[in-house]
Amino acid sequence: MKRNVYIGAAFFALLIALRVGSTVLERRAAAAASGVQAPRFEVDPMWPKPLPNHWLLGMTIGVSVDAQDHIWIIHRGGSLERMENYLAANPPASECCMAAPPVLEFDEEGNLLAHWGGPGQGYDWPVSNHGITVDYKGNVWIGGNGRGAQVAPPTQAAALNESQPGGGPFNDNMVLKFTQDGKFLMQIGHPGQSKGSNDLENLKGPAKMFIDRETNELYVADGYGNHRVIVFDADTGKYKRHWGAYGHKPDDTSLGPYNPDAPPAQQFRNPVHCTELANDGLLYVCDRVNDRIQVFKKDGTFVKEAIIARRTLGDGSVWDIAFSKDPQQKYIFLADGSNEKVYIMLRDTLEILTSFGDGGRQPGEFYAVHSIATDSKGNLFTTETYRGQRVQKFVYKGMAPVTKKDQGVVWPKKAS
Amino acid sequence: MVSPVFTSSSAVFRRTAPHLWTAAFLAALVLVLPQAAVAHDIPNDVTVQAFVKPAGEHLNLLLRVPLKAMRDTEFPERGPGYLDLARVDASLREAATVWIANAIEVYDDDSKLPNPQIVDVRASLESDKSFASYDEAFAHVTGPRLQNDAQVYWNQVMLDVLLEYPIRSDRSRFSIHPGLARLGLQVITALRFLPPDGAVRAFEFAGDPGLVRLDPRWHQAALRFVKLGFFHILDGTDHLLFLFCLVIPFRSLRKLIPVVTSFTVAHSITLIASAYNVAPDFLWFPPLIETLIAMSIVYMALENIVGGIGVQRRWMITFGFGLVHGFGFSFALRQTLQFAGSHLLSSLLSFNIGVELGQLLVLMLLIPLLHVFFRFAVAERTGTIILSALVAHTGWHWMIDRGERLRQFPFVWPALTAATLASAMHWLMGILILAGLVWCVAKYWPLKFPLGQPSPRRPLGTGTPQVHAVGHGLETETGGEI
Repeated sequence: MKRNVYIGAAFFALLIALRVGSTVLERRAAAAASGVQAPRFEVDPMWPKPLPNHWLLGMTIGVSVDAQDHIWIIHRGGSLERMENYLAANPPASECCMAAPPVLEFDEEGNLLAHWGGPGQGYDWPVSNHGITVDYKGNVWIGGNGRGAQVAPPTQAAALNESQPGGGPFNDNMVLKFTQDGKFLMQIGHPGQSKGSNDLENLKGPAKMFIDRETNELYVADGYGNHRVIVFDADTGKYKRHWGAYGHKPDDTSLGPYNPDAPPAQQFRNPVHCTELANDGLLYVCDRVNDRIQVFKKDGTFVKEAIIARRTLGDGSVWDIAFSKDPQQKYIFLADGSNEKVYIMLRDTLEILTSFGDGGRQPGEFYAVHSIATDSKGNLFTTETYRGQRVQKFVYKGMAPVTKKDQGVVWPKKAS
Repeated sequence: MVSPVFTSSSAVFRRTAPHLWTAAFLAALVLVLPQAAVAHDIPNDVTVQAFVKPAGEHLNLLLRVPLKAMRDTEFPERGPGYLDLARVDASLREAATVWIANAIEVYDDDSKLPNPQIVDVRASLESDKSFASYDEAFAHVTGPRLQNDAQVYWNQVMLDVLLEYPIRSDRSRFSIHPGLARLGLQVITALRFLPPDGAVRAFEFAGDPGLVRLDPRWHQAALRFVKLGFFHILDGTDHLLFLFCLVIPFRSLRKLIPVVTSFTVAHSITLIASAYNVAPDFLWFPPLIETLIAMSIVYMALENIVGGIGVQRRWMITFGFGLVHGFGFSFALRQTLQFAGSHLLSSLLSFNIGVELGQLLVLMLLIPLLHVFFRFAVAERTGTIILSALVAHTGWHWMIDRGERLRQFPFVWPALTAATLASAMHWLMGILILAGLVWCVAKYWPLKFPLGQPSPRRPLGTGTPQVHAVGHGLETETGGEI
């Protein structure tokens, strides 16, 4: 009996100790949480589901999320290696594999819903497609950065370099507008017709587009050959305005290689790689090789800039950005395909809070992370070019205190 | 330009299987009926957003559906397929009548309400966010329309409809039968009910959910959940195999009472805890639980083969595994709790009652069958080993398969933060309380239930015990300790 009393007393003492301990720790956690916080993500290694028909993705060069939270990607079937296209040979050389059609639509669970794309009547499909944007009316916009002529069907092997696709002068001097079913609606610009950064009718390797729902204007990051942002009416394609770095008139004079110790370049380097308009009317532009974001008003007035990973050479650090889905769009997610990470930044100060990712081919790692987009639930989607050639989903796991500058690979773990 | 997606994904098949008959029927209908002026494809996925708000003598039903789901209606177009917004109103009303108003039944208490009045219809952009709340949606549907010259492609817009039903009182208990499954191959309806007390009750269902009681009485919710629990256990092969393992050595309801009660109490604890969001939020948690359930089957089967199982030992182990199975039940229940109305706890308990009724039915069938099997087909000890080995084999394969899925999520120790430690302490407290309860029951059980004493020292497998009918069940001469 006495033994039972001792056991009971010990039991209750332990319970009380745990209760007191957890209360103290909770208070500490609350105090820590009032410090710097940032969205936390975990890779979903099961997303997307396997593609049907022995299809493979090539350089996956754009991602966008529509109003239904469907995920759209565009990739280059022509960038696959010879053996990856054996099924497309005539007769087939093996049971596997072949390039998937260029445009693919997935649902949130990673099921493939639809696919289309490629050359057709009435428009000029890019030699090397680049960037995809689904606008507020549900239309799908596509750019391109190919050089030379359209010589190869998408399923034929043609190892294209992401930065300098093909050879010769730029072919892809246009953006294309389609319905979600792949029906052609409009083309702005014509292949091989660009007269440079002040040509009002043609583009030159347009990398990415954004459509402003307030004004129905199309903003184009132009691009791989030009050094500007250019704005058109999204219904008629009529030219509105354009500008270069710091709001200057763009100039095509060669700037030479990027030097991190030199004063900031007064013009965009190639490629001008993204253009994203925030809810408050500020336009964010990726000046990729100059390792910087520049911010403008809608009329092209320069507001501010931020240098990201200044010492990054070669392909540069500022590849693509996406905003968080809160109404204030408090955070920017910046894909850096050279340093193989995604930075989480404050939009108002352009300060980097933390980053995640690392180089590699396993889930949560990156090889040339090229494009990034968010869905309405705050999840992130990334695509990878060069030999990365995939799309990944990073599940939003709520806000968390910032404890590390570089989080590394964000494997699934306990949600806090 | 769009091609169908050819896929052999079993997940996709499972997801769409319940709708295959609907799809087949609709496809046949399209083939048999004379072609309408416009025959659009059946959309794969359709999401319907809806608000139900009774106010005074009217009930407003606000709906948003993709226009592409309104088949066989000709919408005036211009250019490459842009909706002619100046001339579209009549077509939108026709579509709203045929595909929405006529397909939905609303009940005031148990009286079906007459056909509604279509107050307003309009085409909206897919990216329009006004259906985030009832007030915004109402203002949108009764406010300015898209400008007539806007270029919107016809199948990339939404149809917004405001329906109005006459009602007796906004305090009535309303039910709705949304027959919207025919809008697509897979139709998800997200419905929010806004009763006059200011609460917002959210529902989400796939296909045709039948009659949905928006504010069920406790007994209506309870009945629904009893049925759900009953059929869930009958449909859950892994739970049934676990039960089968429990029965093989204890073929007596009396002997099984402490074991099954322990299982019930344990799975009720974790099921209720999950419903109140206490369960861990790991991506890998569901595969972990599924693997543990398979392991529980393997363990029980192996224990049957090894023998020497006492009631006392088995109810304690069953309690532990019951905690695991409770999480498994909670995954099945996750989507259904929305139908509990304001009776969450009673609905959970009802689900458990349903599970127990299902288990009881299985026991009533299994016990006599096993007795007959052991009496006429094979010696008891041999039969126990054979049956348990078969179950262990199945359980083993499940365990390997599910373990493989679990291995996709390598374990990473959580960072040692104050929040993590506090959470760990909460879990320790829970475990401690449970352990205390188990200790108390184990300590005092034999005083109240002497049948739970360990087996008489009879060697295992030495002959077949005689069987006598006792009470409602059957038991062996040795007290079931076989």
